[in-house]
Amino acid sequence: MLVTIRKQLRNHPALIPLFFFIGGGAAMSMLYLARLGLRNPDVSWDRKNNPEPWNKLGPTDQYKFFAVNMDYSKLKKDRPDF
Amino acid sequence: MAHPSQLGFQDAASPVMEELLHFHDHALMIVFLISTLVLYIIVAMVTTKLTNKFILDSQEIEIIWTLLPAIILILIALPSLRILYLMDEINDPHLTIKAMGHQWYWSYEYTDYEDLGFDSYMVPTQDLTPGQFRLLETDHRMVIPVESPIRVLVSAEDVLHSWAVPSLGVKMDAVPGRLNQTAFITSRPGVFYGQCSEICGANHSFMPIVVEAVPLEHFENWSFIMLQDA
Repeated sequence: MLVTIRKQLRNHPALIPLFFFIGGGAAMSMLYLARLGLRNPDVSWDRKNNPEPWNKLGPTDQYKFFAVNMDYSKLKKDRPDF
Repeated sequence: MAHPSQLGFQDAASPVMEELLHFHDHALMIVFLISTLVLYIIVAMVTTKLTNKFILDSQEIEIIWTLLPAIILILIALPSLRILYLMDEINDPHLTIKAMGHQWYWSYEYTDYEDLGFDSYMVPTQDLTPGQFRLLETDHRMVIPVESPIRVLVSAEDVLHSWAVPSLGVKMDAVPGRLNQTAFITSRPGVFYGQCSEICGANHSFMPIVVEAVPLEHFENWSFIMLQDA
């Protein structure tokens, strides 16, 4: 199937940007979903050993993908321990 | 508040709303450019004197009209995601206020230091004094200190409501049994109006929100007076 694609691409090089952007978009979406599934503290995969990961949040951890204005390393913990 | 027959956004009163305004200008300019181009192409196609118009093939223009829209979309997506993450950041609020939605009024609770709570009913049209805005004024305003980060916890006591103030760029649904959090900073003192934004019954259009941003000293005097009256 890849050979067929390569042959068609040689005759129609205009399809290369299409593959690039659609493939890139799909890859980025899947990567973000995987990040959410594995790193989000609201998700618990192992109910026996890690039942409530949302109780283990620290003040200097960054949970969002991108921090625009916040310097998370400067935050202090001012809540009582759970 | 909005002027009569206003089509665009209200003037921004918070940094986040300013960012949203600028992003809207950016995206709208792109939309206008694309629409003008498409309209021009349509007119050109319809009025052309060329006869062989239908069996054409060109790799170069195909590459261009794949690449250019992809780049335009990326140019829209990057500022958009930046504002999205900016809106979710909550930088150490100075004050936390609970806004509870009822049928058909809002109640505000300032419980950081003392137990201050009051209801905020709309001023009926026949009771308006000259200069007040119809369907927007309330008997008690939510007073906050200007230029301080404020956290608002929004919830509801009966049905769904939504706490929205357009000039601050804030809207948060009030769900019974759920606590939603939003935060903002007012860049300037003033009075900012909003209306309930989730259908909640007969008087859904008659439970407005008024936020009054004042210097800290005035806020302290106001809360002292409100505590005494309670």
